[in-house]
Amino acid sequence: MAMSEKFDSLEEHLEKFVENIRQLGIIVSDFQPSSQAGLNQKLNFMVTGLQDIDKCRQQLHDISVPLEVFEYIDQGRNPQLYTKECLERALAKNEQVKGKIDTMKKFKSLLIQELTKVFPEDMAKYKAIRGEDPPP
Amino acid sequence: RGQWEHGGAGRAGQAGKMENFSALFGGAEQPPPAAAAALGFGPAKAAGAGAAPPPAASAAASAAPPAPGEGKAAAAGPFYLLRELPGSTELTGSTNLITHYNLEHAYNKFCGKKVKEKLSNFLPDLPGMIDLPGSHDNSSLRSLIEKPPICGSSFTPLTGTMLTGFRLHAGPLPEQCRLMHIQPPKKKNKHKHKQSRTQDPVPPETPSDSDHKKKKKKKEEDPERKRKKKEKKKKKNRHSPEHPGVGSSQASSSSSLR
Repeated sequence: MAMSEKFDSLEEHLEKFVENIRQLGIIVSDFQPSSQAGLNQKLNFMVTGLQDIDKCRQQLHDISVPLEVFEYIDQGRNPQLYTKECLERALAKNEQVKGKIDTMKKFKSLLIQELTKVFPEDMAKYKAIRGEDPPP
Repeated sequence: RGQWEHGGAGRAGQAGKMENFSALFGGAEQPPPAAAAALGFGPAKAAGAGAAPPPAASAAASAAPPAPGEGKAAAAGPFYLLRELPGSTELTGSTNLITHYNLEHAYNKFCGKKVKEKLSNFLPDLPGMIDLPGSHDNSSLRSLIEKPPICGSSFTPLTGTMLTGFRLHAGPLPEQCRLMHIQPPKKKNKHKHKQSRTQDPVPPETPSDSDHKKKKKKKEEDPERKRKKKEKKKKKNRHSPEHPGVGSSQASSSSSLR
């Protein structure tokens, strides 16, 4: 089963479950004796709904959710903000590391350049072993 | 550094310099100076107050046989502890990792435009006041993980006798309980949607779709809504309410009343 199908199935069951609960809430909010049969039906739908959701568990055992996402949901915040912040943090860190790597490359190049002036023979040997470094 | 400063003078100094130079490029595998001396690669510091080794020591250094595991160093001429450079294929921070993992679409989707702050924007169809913190009504997901409910491993349908426990009294719920089903922030959000729509000529894909549907639904249900309102008023006046929404269609229409 494709990844999206797995989620679609769970989503569908969750939506049905939520809708059933909502209808149950409406029945209960202004209860009439004649509504008892409908209420009983809804209660059993709730049980079957939970059974259906539980069945989805088998298909989704390989899915892991970061705990931080729950923090967002618990605070009533959009969990997409977590994804957004993760991506932004990843990019910022990526840029920072790239900056460090580039600086180190420049430093190496300058060091080799300066060492070549002082130790031309040794540096020639060094370059023979290492090969010419590409410019940073 | 002291050795570097000293070393510019003579041949002996040169050897000392080379030692440090190699160590500079050696990286993490450098042995401590004492260990290097023991292996015969470098002069012992006790040889002199200065860092520059005597010529004899440097000669010993060049003549010393390579220690076990130093075969590579021997091949590297005067340089020892020379590590191999990391392969160019190795993935590092110098590459754009977002592009590397094909996440540009996700990046543009989430970072290109403003993501709405509230949970109700993410789950617009979910009833209830979901924007409130979960700690308020003890409905947080974290509490579900930290204190999982004590229950059986399977769900069994309710039998007739069990269902007798769900016999309710006729009549409406008290006001404070009814509030649970009312979603005042949603109305505000709808206005906000409208505002943002006027500001942004190109709205995001998914929300615009749902908005469109909502709008359509609203239009379709408008006359029906008025009719239902009238009916409800009549119901209240008569004190003889009909059977509330058991069917899905009835329920959904009553939801629009809220």
